Amino acid sequence: MTVADYFLPRSLPEALELLREHGPSLLVMAGGTVTMPLINEGISLPRQVMGLRFAGLDGLEPVDGGLRIGATVTLTGLLRQRHVPMLAQAARRTASWSIRNMGTVGGNLFTPPPGGDVAVALLALDAQVEVRSRDASRTLPLSEFQTGFMTTALEPGELVTGIGVPAVAGETAYLKFGRKEANTPSVVTVAVRVRREEDRVVDARVALGAVGPHALRASRAEAILVGSSLDPGAIDEAAEAAAAECDPFDDGVASAWYRRAMVRLFVRRALEGLAQPVAVEGR
Amino acid sequence: MPEPKMPEPLHVVGRSVPRSDAASHVSGRTRFAGDYTFPGMLHLKMVRSPVHHAMIRGVDLSGAERVPGFVRALTWRDVPHNVYTILGLIGVEPEEEFVLSQDRVRYKGEPIVAIVAETEAAALEAVSEVRLDLEELPAVFDVEEALQAGAPIVTHWGSNAFMFEGHPSRRVRFGDVEAGFAQADHIVEATYNSSPIEQAPTETTGCVAVPEAGGRFTVYTNTQALYFSLDNTAIILQVPGKQLHFVGGTVGGGFGGKVDVIVEPIATLAAMKTGRPVRYVFSRSEEMQVSSTRSAWRIRVRDGVMRDGRIVARQVTSYADSGAYSRQTPYALTKHAANAAGPYAIPNVSIDAYCVFTNRTPSSAMRGFGVTMASYAVEVQMDRIAERVGVDPWTIRFINAYRNGDIRPHRKPAEDATLIETMQAAAALVGHELTDDQRTLTSGPRASEPAGSPGGEAAPAGSPAAGAAGSAGTPAVVAGSTAEGVR
Amino acid sequence: MASRIVSFELCGREVEVLVKPMTTLQFVLRNQLGYTGTKEGCRQGGCGSCTVLVDGEPMMSCLLPVEDVAGRRVTTIEGITPVEGLAPIQQAFVDTNAFQCGYCTPGMVMLTTALLDHNPAPSREEAVEALGGNVCRCTGYAPIIDAIEAASASATGDATRDAGVMPDRSGER
Repeated sequence: MTVADYFLPRSLPEALELLREHGPSLLVMAGGTVTMPLINEGISLPRQVMGLRFAGLDGLEPVDGGLRIGATVTLTGLLRQRHVPMLAQAARRTASWSIRNMGTVGGNLFTPPPGGDVAVALLALDAQVEVRSRDASRTLPLSEFQTGFMTTALEPGELVTGIGVPAVAGETAYLKFGRKEANTPSVVTVAVRVRREEDRVVDARVALGAVGPHALRASRAEAILVGSSLDPGAIDEAAEAAAAECDPFDDGVASAWYRRAMVRLFVRRALEGLAQPVAVEGR
Repeated sequence: MPEPKMPEPLHVVGRSVPRSDAASHVSGRTRFAGDYTFPGMLHLKMVRSPVHHAMIRGVDLSGAERVPGFVRALTWRDVPHNVYTILGLIGVEPEEEFVLSQDRVRYKGEPIVAIVAETEAAALEAVSEVRLDLEELPAVFDVEEALQAGAPIVTHWGSNAFMFEGHPSRRVRFGDVEAGFAQADHIVEATYNSSPIEQAPTETTGCVAVPEAGGRFTVYTNTQALYFSLDNTAIILQVPGKQLHFVGGTVGGGFGGKVDVIVEPIATLAAMKTGRPVRYVFSRSEEMQVSSTRSAWRIRVRDGVMRDGRIVARQVTSYADSGAYSRQTPYALTKHAANAAGPYAIPNVSIDAYCVFTNRTPSSAMRGFGVTMASYAVEVQMDRIAERVGVDPWTIRFINAYRNGDIRPHRKPAEDATLIETMQAAAALVGHELTDDQRTLTSGPRASEPAGSPGGEAAPAGSPAAGAAGSAGTPAVVAGSTAEGVR
Repeated sequence: MASRIVSFELCGREVEVLVKPMTTLQFVLRNQLGYTGTKEGCRQGGCGSCTVLVDGEPMMSCLLPVEDVAGRRVTTIEGITPVEGLAPIQQAFVDTNAFQCGYCTPGMVMLTTALLDHNPAPSREEAVEALGGNVCRCTGYAPIIDAIEAASASATGDATRDAGVMPDRSGER
C-alpha cells in the first residue's frame, strides 16, 4: 500500500507515544537517505512512517571530555564538531555534502553494510547507545546494539535517542577504502584506537566496517596488540588476525576475497600510522 | 561575366560559437522528456521477469486490479504486432523480440505485463501485486557454452547464433591465412575478454505519449533515434507513421543506450487504450538491469609474424554476447568484422565474428559499436607482438601501418589512413624520439596509383540530416541527430 | 490516505500544495508546481541531479518528504536565474563548456551555488570534494571545476583567475 500516514512528531514524548500506539509496523525514519530510495523504487511499501526531523533529537554537546550526540544530528553536524576528530573524519568520508546534510548519526547505526561508516568509528570509541521507550530508558554499548544484518537489540516501542562517546583514551586512526574518492560504498572501513603507557599498548580497539553483517570489532587483533610495542611484527600479526576473523561478503563493490585482503592492508596501514606519527591517508 | 565576389569573413566556420541550448541548460529551462506533464496523465510501470529463463505458466492480475488507482493492465494480447526486430527497418531478420513476453522469458527483467495507474505509487504497488507462475529453465551466460551442443536454446527458432546471410558468423576472408602462418617466424596468440558496460546516462530512458485530436499521438521521448523509434512504433502498433508525432532531440545522455525503441511503443499503446496521456520512465535500477549494454566480448587473435615485425597473417574469432535478443548487435558485429584486423596492412586475414544469444540482458549499441573492443584486442596484441619480436610498441605499428590505397581485408581500399601521422604527432607530444624513417613516413599511397574513390561513412541510423536553405543567405541545417553527450 | 496541505517558501514566494503522505519535494516541484529544472536521475540520492537548497544548504529533493520542508526556505534553479541574463556561476558554466547533455547541469549549478555561498574562493581540491555527490556522465568534471574557479574569480576580483584563460578543450573527444 502507499503510505497512509506520515507522522512528524514535534517532541520526544510525542514520538514515543506514536511508537507505543502503532507498534513495530511503524517505520521510523530520520534523514531518509536509506529509507527513501527503497520507497521510491517500490521495494519498501510501508503503511505508516514516523519522521524524526522535528522531534528535537538534534543536540550535540561535550560531556565530561567526551560527546553526547543526539540521534538526529546530521553527518554535517558531526563533521563540523571539533571535540572528537576521528568522528569528523568519519563523517567527511561518508556519502556526499547533500547527503550529509540529511543523513543522521543515529540513522547510520541502522545503515546496512557496505554503508554505516560512522558506526565503525563509534565502535572504536566505545560508544554507548541511548534507548528510550515511553516508560523506560536504558543505555547499551554499540557493540551489543548491532546484532546482525539490519537487526538491532531494539525492543518494540524503543527509540534510539542519542549516542554517548566517552573521552577519547589514546590515539586513533580512521581509514576508509572505496572504489573512488568520495560518495562511495566502502570496500573496507577501519577505525583503530590504541592507548599506550611507556611504549606498551595497554588497550586497543580495532573496528571494521563493510566486512560483516554490521560494524565488527576484531577482538583477536586487539588482544595481539595489547602488551606489544606496536612493533612491525605485532602489526603484521594483528592485521593477519583481523583479516582472518572478519566475515566479508561479495557485492557489486568488491568480492569477499578482495575485502579480506584489504582488511589486512588497511589495518596494517592504520596501525603503522599510529606507530610512526606521520600522516596516513586512506583512499 | 560577373566579377568574382571576394570571400566574406566567415561567421561560424573556424570560430567558437556558443551552443544554442547553453542558456537553457544552465537555467534549467530545457525540457527533457520526463519533464512533460499533462492533465489526467497516467503512469506505466512494468511487471518483469525475476529469473533469467522460464516458461510462463500463468499471470494472475487480480491482486493488481484491486489496488486503488489501478487503471488497466496490458499483456502481449493487446499488442497488435508483438514480435519485432529493431533493425528490421534495414532488412535484418527474423523478427524475434517480444514487446511483452508471451509464453517464455529469456532474461531477468524481461517485460511481461504493463500496469497503467493513476499515480506512480499506485502503479508500483499494483506491479508488486501481480503473481507470476513461472517454470524456471536452465540458462546460459557464456558465449562459447551457448554455441555448444546441448546448451539451452534462447531463441525461438533453434539456434543461439545469429545467422548472417546463412552463416553463423560474420566472415571476412582475405589472402590465405594458413599459408601466412606457415611462412611466419612467430605465432602470437591471445584471448581478450570484456564485461558488459552500461552506458549509464544521467537521465533514464523514458517518454510521455499523449493522445491528440484526430487520432494522432504525440510522443515526447529521449530516444537518440527519433525516426527509428517512430517507424518501429508504427510497425508494432500497426498504425500509419503519420498518426505518430515524435518530439525529441533533447537527450540527457545516450552514448548508444537510447537507440532501442523500448518505451515508446508500449507507452503509446497505453495512451491508445486509455485515451489519456501516459508516462513511462525507467527507474535507475531498470536503467541498470534492463536497458541494453555494450556487449560482453571474447576475442581470440592468432597472428603470424616475421622476424622483422611484419604481420603476415591474422586470424580473429570473436564472440559478442548479444543477450536474449539481437537489437543492434548484428550491426556492431559487422562493423567489428570490418575493423578486427586493425589499421594495419596484413596480406592474409581470416575473421569470424559471432553474435551469440544468451540469457543475459540484451546488449546493443555503445560508443564505437563493435570497433571499440576490436581496437582493444588488436592494440594489446600489437604490444605483445612488439615484445615477441623485440622492438618497441611504436616501431611495430610503423612497420605494419596501413597506407592510403592499401586494400583492406574487406576488399575496400584505405582512403583516409592517418595512423602514421597520428603516431608522429603523439610522439612529439610525449617526447618520444622517432627514427628518421619513422619521422618522414607518410600515409600516402605506396605506389603511384591513386587512392580509392572518395567516400564516407553513412550517417548513423536514425539520424537523417538534410540541408535546407535558410532565408537571406543564412544556411539552415535540419538534423535528426541528437545532442546526447560524447564521452 | 488523507491528503494534507503543506506550505513552504519556494524561491522567495509562499506556496501551498495538497499532497498525499510522504510525497517527495522532487515530485511536488516537478509534477505539481511545474518547476522541472530540478531533475530526476536516480531517486536514490546517488546522482545529485535533483539538488536544491533548503535554508541555503544543498539537499537531494528526491529523499525529502515535502512535509519535512514545511515552513522552510527552498531554492531551486528557477530561483537563482535572473530575469535577464544569467547568474555568474551559470555564465561560467557556459563559458567553460561545463556541460554536454545538460541533464546534471541544474543540480551542478545548485551545488556550486551553495559552495560559493559557503566558500567564495574554494581551491580546486575543495571544489572536487564538494562535487562528490553530483554525477556528470559527459564532461569528465574538469570543465565544471573550471567554471567554479571562473565564477569565484569574477566574484572575488581575483586577477590571477581570469575566466578568459580557461584551457581550450574544443578539440577533446
